[in-house]
Amino acid sequence: MTAVTTGLRPRTRLWRRSAALTGLLLAAPSFFLSAFVIGYPIFDVIRMSISDVNRFGKIRGFAGLDNFLTAFADPIFIQSTWQTLIWTVTVVGGAVLVAVPIAVILNEDFHGRAIARTIVLLPWAVSLAMTALVWRFVVNGDFGTLNLALTSLGLPFKNHPWLADGTSAFAIVILVGILVSVPFTVTIIIGGLTSISDELYEAAAIDGARPFQRFRYITLPLLSPFLQIAVVLNVIYVFNSFPIIWIMTNGGPANGTDILITYVYKQAFAFGKMDVAAAGSVMMFAMLLGFSILYLHMTRSGRSSHAQ
Amino acid sequence: MHSKRRKSLYCWLGLSPFLIVVLFPYATMLSVALKQKDEIFTFQATWWPSSLYLNNFIELFTERGFGRALFNSIYISVGATLLSIAVAIPAAYALSRLRMPGKNIFRTYLLITQMISPIVLIVGLFRLFAALGMINDLHALIIAHSAFYMAFAVWMLQSYFDTIPRDLEEAAWLDGASHVHAFIRIFLPLCVPGIAVTALFTFVNSWNEFAMSLTMLRQGAMQTAPVKIAFLTGTLYETEWNIIMAATLIATVPVAIIFAAIQNYLLRGLALGGVK
Repeated sequence: MTAVTTGLRPRTRLWRRSAALTGLLLAAPSFFLSAFVIGYPIFDVIRMSISDVNRFGKIRGFAGLDNFLTAFADPIFIQSTWQTLIWTVTVVGGAVLVAVPIAVILNEDFHGRAIARTIVLLPWAVSLAMTALVWRFVVNGDFGTLNLALTSLGLPFKNHPWLADGTSAFAIVILVGILVSVPFTVTIIIGGLTSISDELYEAAAIDGARPFQRFRYITLPLLSPFLQIAVVLNVIYVFNSFPIIWIMTNGGPANGTDILITYVYKQAFAFGKMDVAAAGSVMMFAMLLGFSILYLHMTRSGRSSHAQ
Repeated sequence: MHSKRRKSLYCWLGLSPFLIVVLFPYATMLSVALKQKDEIFTFQATWWPSSLYLNNFIELFTERGFGRALFNSIYISVGATLLSIAVAIPAAYALSRLRMPGKNIFRTYLLITQMISPIVLIVGLFRLFAALGMINDLHALIIAHSAFYMAFAVWMLQSYFDTIPRDLEEAAWLDGASHVHAFIRIFLPLCVPGIAVTALFTFVNSWNEFAMSLTMLRQGAMQTAPVKIAFLTGTLYETEWNIIMAATLIATVPVAIIFAAIQNYLLRGLALGGVK
């Protein structure tokens, strides 16, 4: 306090403190907006999952783990959980497998690259709901354009009902899932490719490395952190993805394409079981959290073993 | 030159399977949107409509209330964009320029909000806005969308703000301008491109959002365009694909054009900020 009269130092300290306060004030609106819209529902969902809730959302009492047990006793919940696993693994795996070669090509210098990039990224711009709707028409057995195209190529698919049985419907929604996940994945991988310096490739070329060897021993290892990011973010998005399945099959036929998120939605808004839905949501949280922790653990142990 | 031409050919050939799959639905949309209803349900489906039939588009607006759905979508998307940019600019400025306590905690917090999907919270979100009496209220969607898209806006803006040299603001301070004045007169004008790209991206996201709009807008007149279109399939005895495809074209093409225009900036922004 005595320093007030002695020039620069206290002024900078005061300025620093006011900068800190200004910073907090500036960040406050964004903090409170998401705390309100995201934080409160998290609390509410957790509370409902351990409560007895009527179909109008009124809490009638404490229920312990009853809602979780109800879900576990439901064979459709178990089936949906397995299907969520298959859905997430195949869509994310498929998207990465398709996206790597596309990104490698788009990173080359060729005529019309800007147009090709725009077309590849196009599915990202379109609402998932709209994409799903159009594909539902495309694969329609009687008048869909997929069968039209396939029969005009001489293949025997006239009136083939793609969405009529569980396995084929699931395969179709997975393919659409891959299609819409590719643009984002390509974007991240291109970001990775541009970070690899040309000198490495030039040096490898001088040493006589063939294109595939360059890809295998330079591109792939340097790309791996970006691939990891792509996988982690895609797992989160795909695990939570709702519109494709909801619009194309509504989880059917016979729950053959239900995943956890459509199961939860039906429990809440079709069957009025808000509490079971909340318990399902909490379990989905737990799974994503478990996945995140596993991922952090793997990358950390991977890094430390690398360092040794 | 010759070798580049050959390389281009190979590149396009390599991409072609995926490009065909991407473009196939657009060909379908166009083909069906220009047909009359009877023409779709024939035994022998065709690609080309027998004549260009534009009545589907007119019917959408005159009889299906699609104009109202478009208005709802625009209202929500513009509102959500303005609100999320309004809260993201100060936050991004603080992260980029000011020493403040808890910066890393705030960054982690933003990351966590991005890991939680609205659809997992849908029951809680519905109850929150029901308690506020905001079901069937477009403003509920403005608030919800901006809360979920804000974190991304903060990252994009911060990575852009970081590229603006500090000297310019500091020079203005030395000239006696107040911090607020320097921010508004010097800093913000330089950031217009970054803000515009972030705003457009938020707009596209909000425009395309489905699950929250489906859940919280339960009256036909309040529905957004994607929800309205999805309902066109379910409510009728016989699905009128010609009408649906016309609506889908209107709802997707303008947004796709916006997106195509900003994708290059987006690639750069993601490479700089979001992913790092």
